[in-house]
Amino acid sequence: MKHLPKHLRPRWRYLAVGIETWPEADLGRRAFQRALWYAAGNLLGDAGSADADLTLLAFSHDGGEGEAIVRARHGHVDDARAVIGCVSEVDGDPVGIRVRGISGTVRACEERYMGRAGGSSTQRDVAFEGAERSAVVRGDARDVRTESGYVGAAAFDTE
Amino acid sequence: MYEAVHAHPDGDATAARHAATAARYGYEGVVVRTRDALDPVGGDADGGGSGTGGDAVDDRSSEAAALREEYGVDVVDAVEIDADSATSASGAVGNYRTERTVVCVVGGDDGLNRFAVEEPRVDVLVRPMDGSGDFNHVLAKAARDNGVHVEFDLGPLFRATGGKRVRALADLRKLREIVTYYDAPHVVSANPRSHLGLRAPREVVAAAEAVGFDAEWVEEGLRAWGEIAARNRERRSEAFIEPGVRLGRYEEDG
Repeated sequence: MKHLPKHLRPRWRYLAVGIETWPEADLGRRAFQRALWYAAGNLLGDAGSADADLTLLAFSHDGGEGEAIVRARHGHVDDARAVIGCVSEVDGDPVGIRVRGISGTVRACEERYMGRAGGSSTQRDVAFEGAERSAVVRGDARDVRTESGYVGAAAFDTE
Repeated sequence: MYEAVHAHPDGDATAARHAATAARYGYEGVVVRTRDALDPVGGDADGGGSGTGGDAVDDRSSEAAALREEYGVDVVDAVEIDADSATSASGAVGNYRTERTVVCVVGGDDGLNRFAVEEPRVDVLVRPMDGSGDFNHVLAKAARDNGVHVEFDLGPLFRATGGKRVRALADLRKLREIVTYYDAPHVVSANPRSHLGLRAPREVVAAAEAVGFDAEWVEEGLRAWGEIAARNRERRSEAFIEPGVRLGRYEEDG
């Protein structure tokens, strides 16, 4: 179909989103998009989520950390931010999520807010609460494996 | 703005991880609700009262001070009193008031809600609408007169789904209408149980706005945690005698 004249094309805003999970979680692009749509449907209803039109444009996740670019309609950025905040789990894995910033073009969004992974993660034994435990170390963060699942700790706790 | 968190062993992340994440998200401080997560201010080994000038900020738990040093956000030692009845809660308030900066009472029961708002030594009544708990004009007036902050728990907004979330939001609306009418003090929190549950202040405000809260009012609620901590620290400092009276030096006129 012939594309629209410029003044009729929708205007978009691009939200850079930072994602954090436990190290073992494996998030897929489709699962994340689905979680986003469900969150929008639940918070804003069908009408509101059609208005905000949240579409995932880029997604990467590895080793407990990820980032994404979410497209939202200009003028519905506050709704988009609220929806993103309400994504609390993806496929049963709890996620920490935050909007790093908003840009008017994908390129500006990528240049300004993306690609700040906190370095690669390594497996190591750390001293935590008087015992040696295995932990996944990423920057200052230490995800310590205990009997009842992971505990999020920091370098401060293990030294 | 401050967020009040559940730290390990109550939650899945330690106080340090919460502080690190909160610093990244742009919070000014975290209130650690879990009693076992930080060592208390009172009964400290080195709590010898430093200086005669009355340094209000000096009076805090050593672990919290170390965390503040490390991550650049304020860390407040608090306690959540989760009692079965008003009588046992009353005893616990007496015990913890001297050793913790912020004292919260978990509501969720009519008797406990009533006790908390009528006790000036309590700083915050948390989760008043949980379980069978309810709130009304009598409690709102008492909370206002005794300066007890009422917590708006946004946890279900972020983490619950379906009917549970609908009921929680309906309760929040009811609570909001009563509390704003009587102008009772309030605090807002997402009740995060791990660093993954923490949300940046702008996300909290945006989500609350989407369910009918006023943005300004929510920000006020997030800041209120810091104001409670600052007020109580001043009261605990050695220079403090009673409201309006403090120990100082004579003015030297030349």
